[in-house]
Amino acid sequence: MFKPTRRGFMVGCSTAIAAWTSGLSFTAFGSAEAEPNQDILIAIFLRGGVDGINIVPPIAGDDRGHYESKRPRIAVPVTGTNAALPLDDRFGLHPGAAALQGLFQDKKLAIVHAAGLTSDTRSHFDAMQFMELGTPDSKSSTTGWLTRHLQSASNLPGQIIMPAVAVGNQQPTSLLGSRESIGMTTPNDFNFGGHWYYGDRQREAMRQLYGGASWLHQAGLQTLDAIDVVESANPGTYTPGNGAVYPNTSFGRSLQTVAQVIRMQLGLQVATLDLGGWDTHEYQGDGGAGYFFDKLAELGNGISALLLDLSNDNGTDHTKRITVVVMSEFGRSFQENASRGTDHGHGNVMLVAGGSVNGGQVYGTWPGLATDQLYDRRDLAITTDYRRVLSEILIRRLGNPKLGAVFPGYQDYSPLGVVQGVDVAPDYAVITPPAAGQRIYLPAIQR
Amino acid sequence: MSSPNLTPERVAPPHQPSPSRRDLLRRGAALAATGATLAALRPAVAQAQTPDGAAAMRTPRRALHLADAATLEPPAPEIIALNRMAFGPRPGDLDALIALGSSSTERLQAYVDQQLNPAAIDDSACDALIAAQGFTTLGKSRQQLWLDHVVKQDVTWDERMQPARETLHATFLRAIHSKRQLVEVLADFWHNHFNVYGWDSWSAGTWVYYDRDALRGNMLGNFRQMLGAVATSAAMLYYLDNVSNTSAGPNENYARELFELHGLGAENYFGVASTVGADGGYDHPAPKDANGKPLLYVDEDVYSATQCFTGWRIDPATGDFRFEDAVHAKYSKIVLAQNIPSGSGVQDGETVLDLIANHVGTARYISRKLCRRLIGDDPPESVVQAAADVFHSQRAAPDQLKQVVRTILLSSEFSTTWGEKIKRPFEYTVSLLRASDANFAWSDSFRYRYEALGQALFNWRPPDGYPDRKENWSSTMPMLQRWRLCNWLLDGWKVGGDGADKDNLRIDCRGQMPAEVTTPIAIVDYWAQRILGRGLPEDERQPLIDFMAAGRNPESSLPTDQIDDRLRFMVGLIFMAPSFQWR
Repeated sequence: MFKPTRRGFMVGCSTAIAAWTSGLSFTAFGSAEAEPNQDILIAIFLRGGVDGINIVPPIAGDDRGHYESKRPRIAVPVTGTNAALPLDDRFGLHPGAAALQGLFQDKKLAIVHAAGLTSDTRSHFDAMQFMELGTPDSKSSTTGWLTRHLQSASNLPGQIIMPAVAVGNQQPTSLLGSRESIGMTTPNDFNFGGHWYYGDRQREAMRQLYGGASWLHQAGLQTLDAIDVVESANPGTYTPGNGAVYPNTSFGRSLQTVAQVIRMQLGLQVATLDLGGWDTHEYQGDGGAGYFFDKLAELGNGISALLLDLSNDNGTDHTKRITVVVMSEFGRSFQENASRGTDHGHGNVMLVAGGSVNGGQVYGTWPGLATDQLYDRRDLAITTDYRRVLSEILIRRLGNPKLGAVFPGYQDYSPLGVVQGVDVAPDYAVITPPAAGQRIYLPAIQR
Repeated sequence: MSSPNLTPERVAPPHQPSPSRRDLLRRGAALAATGATLAALRPAVAQAQTPDGAAAMRTPRRALHLADAATLEPPAPEIIALNRMAFGPRPGDLDALIALGSSSTERLQAYVDQQLNPAAIDDSACDALIAAQGFTTLGKSRQQLWLDHVVKQDVTWDERMQPARETLHATFLRAIHSKRQLVEVLADFWHNHFNVYGWDSWSAGTWVYYDRDALRGNMLGNFRQMLGAVATSAAMLYYLDNVSNTSAGPNENYARELFELHGLGAENYFGVASTVGADGGYDHPAPKDANGKPLLYVDEDVYSATQCFTGWRIDPATGDFRFEDAVHAKYSKIVLAQNIPSGSGVQDGETVLDLIANHVGTARYISRKLCRRLIGDDPPESVVQAAADVFHSQRAAPDQLKQVVRTILLSSEFSTTWGEKIKRPFEYTVSLLRASDANFAWSDSFRYRYEALGQALFNWRPPDGYPDRKENWSSTMPMLQRWRLCNWLLDGWKVGGDGADKDNLRIDCRGQMPAEVTTPIAIVDYWAQRILGRGLPEDERQPLIDFMAAGRNPESSLPTDQIDDRLRFMVGLIFMAPSFQWR
């Protein structure tokens, strides 16, 4: 029987500000429930189908030969300029992602290769929908997988100020249907947009306009509170910890936004970010250089800065309770095309980074790159369902074993071992949505 | 104390247009400042699944009881009508409505009759406005659109998108200026019911046809006709992949949505069940009506319907519908216990459309959606059933949908319910522009700021259309964005350009207020009447008077510069207040 958790998006404006300035943690607002989950999941979606084979290329053996013959121009070399950085005896790391090599060596970055969405589609839109809804081959769900995680998790505090933040201008499909996620580009933009003088007076008036008891009044008041809370954190003067420097791009600013919200101690559980521009059909970058190098640098430097920043929040190290997961809707074709780029593919890498990660390894069963080992004789095959990686994070880090709710229909979970934490048997019971009068979407029946 | 006469400066820096999803996917090349990049995708907050709409908002520090919608005093029926049959009143609309009769009942009857006969309404001012925009695609035929914007080579992306872009611009103009308001309200409804993502080349290129002919041309007519026009349109055939549907490789996307979204609706899904009976023969498992016809559908109906629609295509030379027999599944099929004989060709699909359009479940589902749009999120069963009865009994009538809408609009439920629904972003924005008599002009910056509210027109990707429940539009992000838009429209939206008036605000509050209105109380009451057609409730009225008065006596005339400085912000507060959100 589906029961939404009694979780309020609440703030008493002055209480939150007082608590924040006195450094109390969000659990001060919690109720006397089971140990509240303090872990945070940061989900980065690389839009466009990132070329995982070039992020983590083979550096030895027969696969190296296949790789060089299928990618005569855009293969990452093993020697010379822009050579792959060694990860283990099989794989290297694209030099653009040099910042990630450090994390890998510090055992804070795990890589899962030949992972991804098993659906047979090379449509960006369809693949993203399947992946973010958490229902491969079905687009009918009205909730994203992160929405259902937040709805089904039983170990969250009774009241949370800001449980989910979707950084960017769009609410991602993974948070579809979530009424608890705040969209913001930067905390600075999450503001009333009023006149420098009259805006404040308007906000005071708004508090009275929305002082009533109806659902609409409540909604308005929450919005006013959220604005006040974000403003009180004085986002304009944020100084990253340890001198971390974020890339000077929209993505870099998005990562900083997440860091700021975490440091604001608002009970953040989940944050989502997007980084686009990965649909490299042409001129991807020869010999480990070029466009792809720069794009990877943005990604790697950003993640590295985030973890560096959050490892020193005035002496507090948040990173042990943070897990960053990076995924993309599909990988790219193994063979480069005539335009020195790649087309839509299948298998890909997933990255998992954080202070409680079993880093320093490339996980997954490597299927090989001989033609008869490729998916459709064309693309890297998938041997690890992306849901397996996400489920492990849900169970071992976030303490939510309700896989049946989050990934209905997925029943093959077993941990790969990418993150630390306690194993709990998954609960595969599918939680069906409620009530007459609500739209009920059908699951697509496989024939 | 007199407040300084200052040129308002914006605090926030000017925004960069956000990249469209197309650009996110491409190599991150610098965005050209063209219309193409402004297909910014801002998926709206989608439907909630929690039944208890208040749970996420309930806090221990606030009152734990929430006022029912029923305790909110409904305004006069004339005001309800203008908020539901129109995108809110323009100045003078309320008086014109009152002049139509001597009682609310008389007036509503007259107004409904008038609005349901749009051809007889003189809309020349709006027509002239649209003609003055220099649109080139709105008059093109289906074939012209196809040839000029879809198949033509060496055409820029902008040119391919032009029919969609011009329709978008014209839709705003009509919603703001047309006297045929009900038509605009209904067009918005049907675009969401038969949702198509409008910014791909197949749909954008033919969008004028889809909007003008398939939807608007049929929405006061017959549902079966509309269903057929939509099913054979390039927009829908490509959007839901029916052009790829072949006997050897069936694609069920369209057939599924036909059952689940367009016709019977998910409320009429029986559930997972087989059509194989105990004796091995066909036995539809759903309960049956008096004639033995299934009242609900199962997946097998969808699969068989998929086979019926194989071969439905667009002729690449003309853009017209074409049936491709070679890929059609020729064997006999059974849909909803109806035998569809083999070799019937294109008639297979037509029969499925007949079955759907004639089904009582469809009548109820569509009527419920119309009532949800026109009355409230959970409309009373009484009005839903009344409308459904008309829908079903008049299913062969050429004015079937007009009759259904009339039934809803003249019901007692229509004019006596209030507070269950708030305006969606499109209605909010348009009603603000109407009530403020804005000097509206389309611009990229207007579009960008509007789309931040989450209801960019023709921009919803999944086929279910923008959600129509209050939960989807009352969370923090949608609320904040509408306030931000309001603040910009009232204080930052200027004429621009090179003329002498370039720094003038497009919403001129000062210029519209009579000179003799000078006290805080008179000013607030004047604008409440202007915008809402009625006075504000006391808990909204007093803060506005205080704001306007800024410490002075609310019954005394204010100094001119205090009015100049504060008026537009006070008006903005009315537009942001709860009273302006309800419909």
